[in-house]
Amino acid sequence: MKLSRGILSITAAAVVSGSALGSALAFGHWLQEAAARSSHQRPTVDYWLEPVTPTSPGLIAQGRRLFLDSCAHCHGADASGDEGPDLHDLRVSDRYIAHMIVFGEPHQMPSFAKKYGAADITALTSYLRSLESS
Amino acid sequence: MDSTIWAKAHGATTHFPLALALCSAAFDAAGFALARQPIGGDLRAAGYWTMIIGAMGTVPAVLSGLLMTKGTVLGHDALRMHHVYVWPAFALVVALGTWRLFQGRNATRQAFAGYLILAGIAAGLMSAAAYWGGEMMIAR
Repeated sequence: MKLSRGILSITAAAVVSGSALGSALAFGHWLQEAAARSSHQRPTVDYWLEPVTPTSPGLIAQGRRLFLDSCAHCHGADASGDEGPDLHDLRVSDRYIAHMIVFGEPHQMPSFAKKYGAADITALTSYLRSLESS
Repeated sequence: MDSTIWAKAHGATTHFPLALALCSAAFDAAGFALARQPIGGDLRAAGYWTMIIGAMGTVPAVLSGLLMTKGTVLGHDALRMHHVYVWPAFALVVALGTWRLFQGRNATRQAFAGYLILAGIAAGLMSAAAYWGGEMMIAR
């Protein structure tokens, strides 16, 4: 009787704990999907079809300097997001990134068209691509 | 809606399970050591309730954290370190609370010694998670 109660307790602990952890991770995944939908981090067709900007350590370093100068205020110094979204593992095309930098987004992000030219945008894109995990 | 509401909610909810789990481990360890004295039973009772309430308290803490980070389950840098400790701590504290609830006062001394080791590990994991949570606050 004592043994069966012990086994029941351990089984219940494993089931409840596993369910709680699984539910939390599933909820997190759902929230990420919802956030990705609103911040355009889901893969788009052009992301798969368009060639990515060639990068080099120098270009990435230059992009990081520009990022810290203009973008870190909203996206965080490590680009993990603050007022603006997390920019790691972006699943959008280079053209989309360039469009975002040039035109911004109404009420959310200003345009940097006057501040950054094509070379700067390439450097910024290279830096953002360097934040991808794969 | 206030965009910082979940950050505030996380700050408000996260300290309860942390404090309760640490207190529970301390009460139970003391109760285990003083098992032959009258106060031993009281300490075990205090350890029981603090673990049960602490395990229940992990749910709002985890939910508010997920909502605050828009569902990030690992993240980067300090947030990653926070999560590396949070997830095993969450699973372990819920498991310990559930085991305690089902087992009641019927655990053998040997089983309770095993529980105490796991409660100590859970307290360590929660403290490490809290440390990295604090690092994030300082960074901001």
